[in-house]
Amino acid sequence: MKLACTFTAVWLLASSQPLFAHTPLFDCFDNGDDTLTCEGGFSDGASATGVGVRMVDAQGKVLEQGKLDAKGSITFKRPAGGFSVVFEAGAEHALTVLGDDIT
Amino acid sequence: MQPRSFQLKSLPLLLGVALGAVAIPAFAHFLVVYTPQTALVRATDLPFHLVFTHAFNGGPSMAMDKPQRFYYAKRSAPNEQIEEVDLARYLEPIQWAGEQGPVSAWKATVPRNVVRSLGDYQIVVEPTPYLEEAEGLYIQQFAKVMVNVGGVPGNWSETLGLPAEIHSLNKTYANWTGGVFRGVVLGNGSPVPYTQVEVEYLNHDLDVANNTFVADGKIDAPHPSLAAIVILTDANGQFSFTLPKAGWWGFAALSVGPENEYNGKPLSQDAILWVQATDLPQ
Repeated sequence: MKLACTFTAVWLLASSQPLFAHTPLFDCFDNGDDTLTCEGGFSDGASATGVGVRMVDAQGKVLEQGKLDAKGSITFKRPAGGFSVVFEAGAEHALTVLGDDIT
Repeated sequence: MQPRSFQLKSLPLLLGVALGAVAIPAFAHFLVVYTPQTALVRATDLPFHLVFTHAFNGGPSMAMDKPQRFYYAKRSAPNEQIEEVDLARYLEPIQWAGEQGPVSAWKATVPRNVVRSLGDYQIVVEPTPYLEEAEGLYIQQFAKVMVNVGGVPGNWSETLGLPAEIHSLNKTYANWTGGVFRGVVLGNGSPVPYTQVEVEYLNHDLDVANNTFVADGKIDAPHPSLAAIVILTDANGQFSFTLPKAGWWGFAALSVGPENEYNGKPLSQDAILWVQATDLPQ
């Protein structure tokens, strides 16, 4: 339930933006090989290539960071312990996915 | 060849009359490509049922050979090429129950890891032609349904070059009840003006656990013309239809594909598109 609520919060944050205003969208998946892949995009279909993504631990320390590639994708090694991944699509457009939600 | 939609020699029609049931128009064949939800917030396994049937009436259903192709087409990013991913490996034969006895149909569970990326998936079924013996012709319905993951749009508005195809001008997975859906009928890639488009509501829920339709329909149509609704495309091959009820609406354009013969008999290459309508939250 906690996981569902957390993700719903992320989605509601995204959906609270006007649809015509470039709503950011973001999600991550576990690849089953100790890595995870995150993908980002926008509701109008605009490319997210080059948008920054950072992985942070529970204290906010940056573990890894990079930019989305031409497919709007980035792959990280999955860290031990609690973490989250942040899609940095502008100050009002940051989206966070908790590590526990990445399956 | 006379358009198939005007032919009245139909086994389903005769059966319907013989059984005292509501007459089923000959033109009401629909390849149902069913998955419960097409607008997904997150990726999940995708279940499909493929049943060749009469959509509004929930039967009679026709035996369906293994499709020639079952795949999705996806563009992973605006500047990337469309990728086709074969899904035929996930097809399993089933027996679909109905009043006339079971017929062969298909189901598939496409695993999450195949459809996990954000964006649009145009899922296509290219069936093996079906011999409609009562009409003395083969029917091949190129059917599309779209699934979106996460709200990132993709190739929903792009055509795939099918012999018979409905070009969607709205996202098929993003329609409120009462909204207008628009499309263009294409034959061999070109708009088909003033051709008939049959519109049917998937009136009987699928009981996927028992491979059959739920017996009770959601609507009692007071007239056959309201069960199998027929509209025409305009001079540009475009049509529009207001979706009056939540659920699945099937659009079929018959005999618009370029091939007109198969195994020495007439062939009708039809285009099918499924659209999901969603009620506004209370």
